[in-house]
Amino acid sequence: MGAARAASLAESINTTLADLLEQDPRVLLLGEDIGRLGGVFRVTRGLRDRFGPDRVRDALLAESTIVGQAVGLALSGLVPVCEIQFDGFTYPAANQLVTQAARIGDRWGGRIRPSIVVRIPTGAGGRTVEHHSEASEALFAGCPGISVACPSTGEDADQILRYAVTAGAPVVVYEPIRLYWRRTSPPRDPEPAASPTSARILRRGRDLTVATYGAITHEVLEAAHDLAPDVDAEVVDLRWAAPLDVDTVLRSVGRTGRLLVVHEGTKDYGVGAELAASIADRGFDLLRGPVRRLAPARRGFPPADFAKDHLIGVQDIKDGMLEMTK
Amino acid sequence: MAMKSESEHEAGPDDRTRRLLLRHMLVARGVDEEACQLQKQGALDLWPSGQGQEAAQVGSALAVGPDPTVFPSYREHAVALMRGVAPEELFAQWAGRTYCGWDPRRARFFPYTLVLAAQTLHAVGYSIGRRLQGLEDFVVVYIGDGATSEGDMAEAMNLAAVEAASVLFVCQNNGWAISKPAAEQMRTTLAERARGFGIEAVAVPGQDPEIVFAACSRAAAHIRGERAPYLVELQVGRIHGHSTADAQEVYRSAEDIAAARAADPVARYAGRLRERGVVDAAWFDEVDAEVRELCERLAKEYA
Repeated sequence: MGAARAASLAESINTTLADLLEQDPRVLLLGEDIGRLGGVFRVTRGLRDRFGPDRVRDALLAESTIVGQAVGLALSGLVPVCEIQFDGFTYPAANQLVTQAARIGDRWGGRIRPSIVVRIPTGAGGRTVEHHSEASEALFAGCPGISVACPSTGEDADQILRYAVTAGAPVVVYEPIRLYWRRTSPPRDPEPAASPTSARILRRGRDLTVATYGAITHEVLEAAHDLAPDVDAEVVDLRWAAPLDVDTVLRSVGRTGRLLVVHEGTKDYGVGAELAASIADRGFDLLRGPVRRLAPARRGFPPADFAKDHLIGVQDIKDGMLEMTK
Repeated sequence: MAMKSESEHEAGPDDRTRRLLLRHMLVARGVDEEACQLQKQGALDLWPSGQGQEAAQVGSALAVGPDPTVFPSYREHAVALMRGVAPEELFAQWAGRTYCGWDPRRARFFPYTLVLAAQTLHAVGYSIGRRLQGLEDFVVVYIGDGATSEGDMAEAMNLAAVEAASVLFVCQNNGWAISKPAAEQMRTTLAERARGFGIEAVAVPGQDPEIVFAACSRAAAHIRGERAPYLVELQVGRIHGHSTADAQEVYRSAEDIAAARAADPVARYAGRLRERGVVDAAWFDEVDAEVRELCERLAKEYA
């Protein structure tokens, strides 16, 4: 099978956002440099010209202002879709996300359930300076009241964004920087996800389940295709770091008996830890061996020269799969 | 001309308004005292008393009227009551029953926000959102002096200024951020700081409801006329600790606490209106009866 050529992730998201703005007058976009410039990754290119500066709003360079203001906009009846410029710049907005946006429904006694979307470009995407390659999804996955999506294709991003603007609670969408403009991707099964919030099986297999999400889904698929047919891996794209679709993984492990979790965010206290615990809890009798995790060690993202040593590559994944199935 | 001239502002409110100001202050004080009592009995887990801030709250709320949406901090009990929040609804969150006991939309008085200054950005965003939808965009946000040290406060003032948002910032400066005195919190008045952001601002004594009413009336006229934000800083007293869990005697001198009690805005204003013959003993009896009934209801519900 050859690699499929398709619209890039950035183009898909641009099309989806344009459609959402077109369909629903309550939707507006808010972020640094998203208007005149079209975003530093050009995801929102052309939208300000098309929908005007009131609906595609160049925000002040203050992340707390972006999300705090979005809470107010949402309370007023609008549906703000925010963009944080880089994952590493999310932290000034963390208070507004965790103590405010995430709690509106509870604080209002369920009287209102506004939707707030926060899009965050995430992960390594080439040689970058400090704070431009972070993957912080596990941090917000640990916050009740916030859903955390990690799409790895334009099709998934489209489905997730359409769901997010109606979710009635904040949804943080982590968009992999290095997939924004990539045109090729390893082949995937066309099988659709059961629902916007569920995981998706990208490749059927018998020998082990590899659960993953985000940009590294590509490396996992590449490793799985490389090792076939000697090792026949089932690849599950979780698509959401929270809430986790444990059921889909559990059913997969029921077929394969083995689980490897691969992600780009650091390993300790990561999404893999949560998934491993859930599977051990609910599917211990299904397992033929210990659950393994492959993820970067617990340290800050290194300078560009050392990024390769930090990240999990295709060979690491193949080694892990072979080790578990030998 | 229907508009009030400056001299009429100087002349102060009419007697009907004066009685209204005093009535709301007396009700707020009575409810606050009942809350302190119920907290002592263990019926409330905590109560952030607003005693000493009644003139600031009642004067500002009456000046802006019922239309603007209010984003409170967590001590604006007098404003809540004026917006039709029942005392039982007000107490519910301090008794651990809920995070917000009233219907925020009906009262146009939004839930208390305990993370300092977080609500300032919500208020500005809400005003912007309402304006975008062609709806009433006048919003009032309350903060204490302590909250003005938060980054969100600076961000909200700047955002309101550059967006020309119809937001009235009301800062009740009671001189203390729990145990940190105002002199150690800031080198200028908050009003000066607001002007640095390009926001019209005024600092006035907040113990006299008529001064507050006049200042906030002018602020509201400015916001409606100019479609621009405004900040009013009100110097108020703090009679009790930061909350019922706070022991202010540990860090505050007995003289300072006594001075705050002596400057009690409720007692002073009641005395003033009585002396001027604006209210009489029968009027006080009527308000007392109303307050007593509220407190009995509260005791029945919570004690």
